[in-house]
Amino acid sequence: MTYLLKITRCIAFVFIGSVCMAQTTIIQNATIHIGNGKLIENGSMVIEKDKIVEVGQNLKNLYKNAKTIDAAGKHIYPGLIAMNNIMGLNEIDAVRATKDYQEHGEFNPNVRSQIAFHTDSKILPTAIYNGVLYTQAVPQGGVISGSSSVLKTKAWNWEDATIRKDDGIHLHWPQVSPNNPKQDELLGLAIQEIEEFFVAASQYQLQTKPKFNARLAAMKDLLNGKVNLYLHVQEAQSIVRSVGFFKQNYPKIKLVLVGAPDAYLLIDFLKNHQIPVVLGNIHRLPSRNAEAIDQPYITPSQLVQAGIKVAISLEGSWEARNLAYLAGTAAAYGLSKEDALKTITLHVAEILEVDKQIGSLEVGKNASFIIAEGDLLDMKTSKLWRAFLDGEELDLKNEQVKLAEKYLQKYQKK
Amino acid sequence: MKKNYTTGIFLLLLFAAQFVRAQSTFPMNGVSNPLSNYFAITQVSIQCKPGVQLKNASILVRDGKIEAIGTDIMIPKEARIINGKGKYVYASFIDLFSDYGTENGSQPISGRPNFYENNKKGAYAWNDAVKSYQDAASVFKVDEKKSKAMLAAGFGASLTAIPDGIFRGTASLVLTATEHEQKMMLKAKAATQMSFNKGSSKQPYPGSMMGVIALIRQTYLDADWYKQQKEEYLLNLEAINASKNLPVIFESENKLAVLRAAKIAKEFNLNYIIKGNGDEYQRISEIKATGNKLIIPLNFPKPYEVSNPLDALRINLADLKHWEMAPANAAKLHQSNIPFALTMQGCSDAKSFIQNLQKSVLYGLNPDAAIAALTTIPAEWLGMNQQIGSIEKGMLANFFLSNAPIFEADAKIISHFVLGKEYRIEPELSYLLNGHYTSSISNVETHWNIKEKDGKLSGSIIGADTLKLSIQEVQGIYTFMFAEGKNSTSQTRINAWIEKLDSQSNQIVSLKGTAFTSKGETQQFYLKLDSIGVQKIKKENKNLPNIGEVIYPFCEYGNEQIPKASNIIFRGATVWTNEKDSILTETDVAISNGKIIGIGKNLTLANAQIIDAKGKFLTNGIIDEHSHIAIYRGVNECTQNNTAEVRIGDAVNSEDINIYRQLSGGVIACQQLHGSCNPVGGQSSIIKLRWGKAPEEMKISQAAGFIKFALGENVKQSNWGIETDRFPQTRMGVEQVYYDAFIRAREYEAARKANPLLTRKDLEMEAMLEILNKKRFISCHSYVQSEINMLMHVGDSLGFTVNTFTHILEGYKVADKMKKHGASASTFADWWAYKFEVIDAIPQNAGILNAMGVVTAINSDDAEMGRRLNQEAAKIIKYAGISEMDAWKMVTLNPAKMLHLDHQTGSIKVGKDADLVLWSHTPLSIEAKALYTVVDGVIYFDREKDKAYRMKMDLERQRLIQKMIEAKQNGEKTEQKVSELDPDYHCEDFE
Repeated sequence: MTYLLKITRCIAFVFIGSVCMAQTTIIQNATIHIGNGKLIENGSMVIEKDKIVEVGQNLKNLYKNAKTIDAAGKHIYPGLIAMNNIMGLNEIDAVRATKDYQEHGEFNPNVRSQIAFHTDSKILPTAIYNGVLYTQAVPQGGVISGSSSVLKTKAWNWEDATIRKDDGIHLHWPQVSPNNPKQDELLGLAIQEIEEFFVAASQYQLQTKPKFNARLAAMKDLLNGKVNLYLHVQEAQSIVRSVGFFKQNYPKIKLVLVGAPDAYLLIDFLKNHQIPVVLGNIHRLPSRNAEAIDQPYITPSQLVQAGIKVAISLEGSWEARNLAYLAGTAAAYGLSKEDALKTITLHVAEILEVDKQIGSLEVGKNASFIIAEGDLLDMKTSKLWRAFLDGEELDLKNEQVKLAEKYLQKYQKK
Repeated sequence: MKKNYTTGIFLLLLFAAQFVRAQSTFPMNGVSNPLSNYFAITQVSIQCKPGVQLKNASILVRDGKIEAIGTDIMIPKEARIINGKGKYVYASFIDLFSDYGTENGSQPISGRPNFYENNKKGAYAWNDAVKSYQDAASVFKVDEKKSKAMLAAGFGASLTAIPDGIFRGTASLVLTATEHEQKMMLKAKAATQMSFNKGSSKQPYPGSMMGVIALIRQTYLDADWYKQQKEEYLLNLEAINASKNLPVIFESENKLAVLRAAKIAKEFNLNYIIKGNGDEYQRISEIKATGNKLIIPLNFPKPYEVSNPLDALRINLADLKHWEMAPANAAKLHQSNIPFALTMQGCSDAKSFIQNLQKSVLYGLNPDAAIAALTTIPAEWLGMNQQIGSIEKGMLANFFLSNAPIFEADAKIISHFVLGKEYRIEPELSYLLNGHYTSSISNVETHWNIKEKDGKLSGSIIGADTLKLSIQEVQGIYTFMFAEGKNSTSQTRINAWIEKLDSQSNQIVSLKGTAFTSKGETQQFYLKLDSIGVQKIKKENKNLPNIGEVIYPFCEYGNEQIPKASNIIFRGATVWTNEKDSILTETDVAISNGKIIGIGKNLTLANAQIIDAKGKFLTNGIIDEHSHIAIYRGVNECTQNNTAEVRIGDAVNSEDINIYRQLSGGVIACQQLHGSCNPVGGQSSIIKLRWGKAPEEMKISQAAGFIKFALGENVKQSNWGIETDRFPQTRMGVEQVYYDAFIRAREYEAARKANPLLTRKDLEMEAMLEILNKKRFISCHSYVQSEINMLMHVGDSLGFTVNTFTHILEGYKVADKMKKHGASASTFADWWAYKFEVIDAIPQNAGILNAMGVVTAINSDDAEMGRRLNQEAAKIIKYAGISEMDAWKMVTLNPAKMLHLDHQTGSIKVGKDADLVLWSHTPLSIEAKALYTVVDGVIYFDREKDKAYRMKMDLERQRLIQKMIEAKQNGEKTEQKVSELDPDYHCEDFE
């Protein structure tokens, strides 16, 4: 947006009734991490209502009447997006009654996470505390586990929370223990089941008046390439086999690899096929003894250097609050800090196709951002100062902070 | 016609069968038929015993015993003479580890297992894995099929046991021939056998390696007590005491298990003969140091299928290397003067045993040592060397004949004699027909090529169309068959007999017979020898095969030489001392002999390696109070609510790659804790991460004894997902387990004092007593405040302090009480919500505990987080606003304090252990990488060297993979292989 346009718009607001002053906020003197790789030192960011209207340096003069937040020495980041996560679908790992992420059966493309998303989960505020403002709520289990949605981590209900409903369907490529003597046979059978399901789903779409089949009907947007197929796959062999299967038989389907610890073994393959990779938790041990001790940490940079679009994720619900540190580790092992940030912000938004609204601090996008005391990607300095979702400030004082205060007060009284 | 010697003997022995029963208790059906079995084999080479060989000698056998051997012995007229020209005679091998004839001898009990009681009816002890009452002799049955295989492999005797249970009862020395069992039994109770596997016992206990060892220990103690008491009769203990003087054969599954077995033997002053698994070369000096005798299999792996490079990634370096090095194991043992016998166990058949035996010699095993390991050594160990194991006058006539010296590639065992009775092994042809012949059918001549392989004949008719010949021989009558044209299905058949034979070579010179065409015409057939077939002689490489080096530990990132302590100066570092001076800038730290000897500026030290540490950070290494790395076969003995008797120290796995991974994260020591299955778990082991050393050398000597306790959901089995009837099911029950055990321990103490002989030494009670007497300290898995409070009350009321509450996620709610009690806290930085009892866990916990003056640590419980504990400590700065120094102490000095190690490690101070880490960045930052990790002055991790390791490791992998591909191309069979990964244990694992 040009300088002039800005002025006019502000004037327009003034005419309407001097709303410009009340609804405009400028955050000053901060280090701004845009999320697209750019960094603005000593920068300013202007928000109006729920949108970002300008980001740059020396903007104060243009927004003299705007409400000012002085963030000197602090760092602004886009709200982080926890991809491939079960936050809001799972409260306590060991308590079955609190689990809503795994449906019975093997092929469930019709089950949808959006409507099970529990906005009053006690876990969500702990994620917000560490800057996670969005999540892709992902059903797990079976072969096709269901359809995910992109949601805010703070909302009144799931309708409010939704950024994008049904962004894709999750398929777990079969894995047979390589120690199983019948592994080839079992794998063959499992793949055949997938084949049969996709054939049935394709046929179903061609029928003029089919008898309603919820499972097959749910595959429509996937087969048309309107939503992603999130291909959860681990081993190198399975990556080659599964990608080959879809590229050959269903070229229209948009593939995203999820998990894929072995992706680093297949860099050329993935590059040729232009498939984005959503890595799982990289704070893990190497998959094989012979791997470099830090292979999981290096993988993001190896993929990024090859030009592959990389996002980093973690599945666990309460663990989601450590998302920034995964990017931090990727940065310590080869990525630049700003590139590392992309793996939990803009790249994620792009893969989820919500990058028009979120994922970076670019003009026109939602004013969803966090202000950290220091480097967000490093544990020690990552304390949040303030956080905003759609221009609205969030309360960072969660139940855990309250519990800590409660007991500290008890001890102080003594 | 000259009869081949073997056939002759065979016929003779058909009549001699009666002789065997001449002296027996068996009644007779008919008239007696006493026959003497008296024969001599002449012109043979006899390996009388290792190192003694007679050429062109004779052996005289009478009624199952050797009457004479020598080069010019008198052979009495009445003895039948068998010409064994060109053959070699060896004493029958003896297998000390066998289940020949007893493999189905165990009697498993059926029905639902019971947690605490033995379901076996009868006067049996409490645990069904103690099958010491088993008696191989009482179940032994001749097994014809297996007998064939054993005789074919050269084994004429085996020490056979019932392969079931930890204590397996007595083993019998039997002959492996097929005469009546009463004749085959040489020594009914020749030894006892033991193992680390509970076998068919369905009782949950023991569920882990440490549990197995605890059970062995307790059983020995029980057997001692049993002798004194008169109140109980227990078959198991009765049997153990009755067989106390017999040799013990102990089955182990790998080199570290050999060391474990040896340690038990030492503890109880026993001499185990330990059956290994063929990888002893990987820890040879430690095994030698035990002084134990070994039994070694020749179970060499096949080359692995590595054609697909992605498949090959699944195979660990250890497996690749072992494939190459396994054949050299026996040679290396012999070179190290470790006494060993060889067993056939682990070889699929006789052929593979003989091949692997030959391979062992090819890989450097001295042939005499090989013979000894199969004959004289096992005979001597059983005290049977006056009867078996060598070919000497007066000994049993147990020997076999081979066509060539047994260690030569084409050697085959032709015939095995047991008690003088012959068992034919190789279906050797009486006469030789291999060669080039001219056939004449109705005067039409064709050229025939005839080959012999493994006693089977085949051939071809040379001509415009080469036709296949099928050939059969039955008792000197030959039949041939061939198609009457290339695409014809019509066959000509020939029936022929020997016309002329070369008496020296047994080669058939001519055959005569009749041909029957497909049309029914009969024609004269004549076959005449042109030239004898030339046997292809395999080129044998007599040079020792090239094999890689042994590395310590035997896995990725192992070293050919275990690194040693040296003089080192870290020059110009920012030193975080954890002492009063806190942070020293541009400071040198000098180390020598494993200790810190200087801190200051411009230090000098003779022969010191100077490490430029400018701009870098030197700290004491990280200590993980709660780790489960490097534990073998189970982290939990879940099977009883109190397993104070089990010891992690019995199951340390020095070959766990996670040790190296922890070093790469700056960890120098950890407490290996038992899991959290039960209120009283097992005793901990505290190790320093001395990568490459054997388990015992990793342990911190003089370290205080610790034991794991656990509270809450795990011990009441809330999340097991199965119905369980083990007490306790509530926190109420947990308290009672403690009071009961401690009070019983005091009573036990008094009883032992009053009557040490009649009071059974109880290792569970001993451990509880150590806690009460402040000789063992508790690290208690705990979450919620009620249970933390409860255990402190138990301690206060019984007069001991709970040393450490580990996990302790609600510690912040009772920090004041913990301070007062004197307990430490070892917690997670930010774990929560994984189960109901951690719903109030907050990341401010460690900060609050610390602020309240409780010694607080951050632990891992996880091999991955263990290598990022500096980052976990950094989280406390963020969540609770503590100082960097306080955070740093949470992973160094504070855990040292709670493990009672702070006098020797945990800070940088002159005189303390040189347990140091040099960091690339400020240690609590996510950028920080350990550049060097030093334990006791030894650099065990060096980030630069790590890169070199990887290259070296990759080269070694590639070399081995190429070698396997070559082996495959040379026709060796390959097998699919997926290496097992080291288990990544957590508290919650049931194993």
